[in-house]
Amino acid sequence: METRIRLLLLSVAAAVACGGCAARAPARATATRGTPVSATRADTGANADAGVDAGADQADAAPPVIIQPQVQRRTITVPKIRSENVELGAYYGELSIQDFGTEPVVGVRLDYHVTEGFFFEASAGRANGGKTSYELLSGGVQLLSDAERRFTYYNLSLGYNLLPGEIFIGREHAMTSALYAIGGIGSVKFAGQQNFTVNFGAGFRVLPTDWLALHLDVQDLVFRSNVFSVYRLTNNLQATLGASVFF
Amino acid sequence: MLLALALAAASLAPTPVRAARALLQLFVTEPYLNLHTGPGRGYPVTQVVGRGESVDVLFRRTDWLKVRTERGIVGWASAADLSHAVMADGTPFHLSLGDRNGFRSHRWETGLFAGAYAGATLISAYTALSLTDNLKLEVDLSQYLGNASDGYLADVGLAHVFRPDWRISPFVTLGAGMERVEPKAAFTQPVERSDQLAYVGGGARIYLTRRFFLRGEYRTDVVLTRTNRNEVNPEWRLGFAFFY
Repeated sequence: METRIRLLLLSVAAAVACGGCAARAPARATATRGTPVSATRADTGANADAGVDAGADQADAAPPVIIQPQVQRRTITVPKIRSENVELGAYYGELSIQDFGTEPVVGVRLDYHVTEGFFFEASAGRANGGKTSYELLSGGVQLLSDAERRFTYYNLSLGYNLLPGEIFIGREHAMTSALYAIGGIGSVKFAGQQNFTVNFGAGFRVLPTDWLALHLDVQDLVFRSNVFSVYRLTNNLQATLGASVFF
Repeated sequence: MLLALALAAASLAPTPVRAARALLQLFVTEPYLNLHTGPGRGYPVTQVVGRGESVDVLFRRTDWLKVRTERGIVGWASAADLSHAVMADGTPFHLSLGDRNGFRSHRWETGLFAGAYAGATLISAYTALSLTDNLKLEVDLSQYLGNASDGYLADVGLAHVFRPDWRISPFVTLGAGMERVEPKAAFTQPVERSDQLAYVGGGARIYLTRRFFLRGEYRTDVVLTRTNRNEVNPEWRLGFAFFY
């Protein structure tokens, strides 16, 4: 009797278990109509429960879809460093033309600062020569025409900042400065002649701001001239004040 | 009155807001970074930026960078000191410095020469663009001042540098250009003329220091005159040049 009761209970338990299996089958059918990802997951669960490989076949037929990111790759541009090594400016001063008096001179300069010490400079200037002592004393004698009295020159020079330093104005302001030596070669056109010229001198540069420089320069332009029919070396000193901008 | 109205209108008009320029941000990886008061090694160090802190690069002058720290302090840092810095994404910062590597490989070079052209004194300047480390496209402008005549030369050519990595580096050059001759008035028939010319030459570039090198060369210029005979003029020149 006890054995029969046990058999009955086991039969009921088996029926309940089979009913559970039957009850899950529609759930699987519902899941397979869903999204591919969820269907695959439902199949895997069903296979584990049922112990069949029908779900694995389905997974082979529809491989899992890799999620494609919808983010655009950003192109990063590294900001460029602005270089301010070029200096462009103008100057005005006095030029002593040997035998032809001291006259105003104007000019322009273009500098390129190569290192903290060295810089290259190209400059060009113009002045009008005055009268010689002979012309002044003799009255009406004109040795040169007005066009011939025009003194134009250019110089290509190399400079070196000998004494860099700072200038202080009060407690709050400091300006960088430099005393430099400069020398080079160039050409002078005067009295109807072109002459190879050697220039040398010194200057003082002060920077009130990062982009503005003020200059005080003294230079000698040396060339051989035969204005008076005899070749001789002439020294032509000029002292100028100038301003220039860095860019 | 109109001027006053125009000035008033100009003062009332909204001023356009300028977009802030993007500045390069660098992070210090060395124990510290010295900030000088000026763009030179002699200027005193008044501020220090610690490791891991950043600076914004305002601009460059020669081999010095004007920078602003996170605390808003402005000073000058040597480009060599910043050679170990990194950018915001960790990329190493690289800046072209004047050294042997720069002498071997650079974009531009410029130089000044003194020399002789057919017995006349020569003044010359040139600029070259590096097509490769070995091949350079050169533009020359020269003036010569002689006893019989003055003149100008302008030419374009190619220079081939055999071994740009050598300290003394030989090269050959080939090009063409124009010559303008201005005979001196003291001689008969002072007629100015322009002629085409071609040249071939060779020389050496000698690295000095930083961005500088010496350059010496010899050329043979063939001037294609309008007479029956072409002129063949020797040209020597020696000068300083720098690369950038």
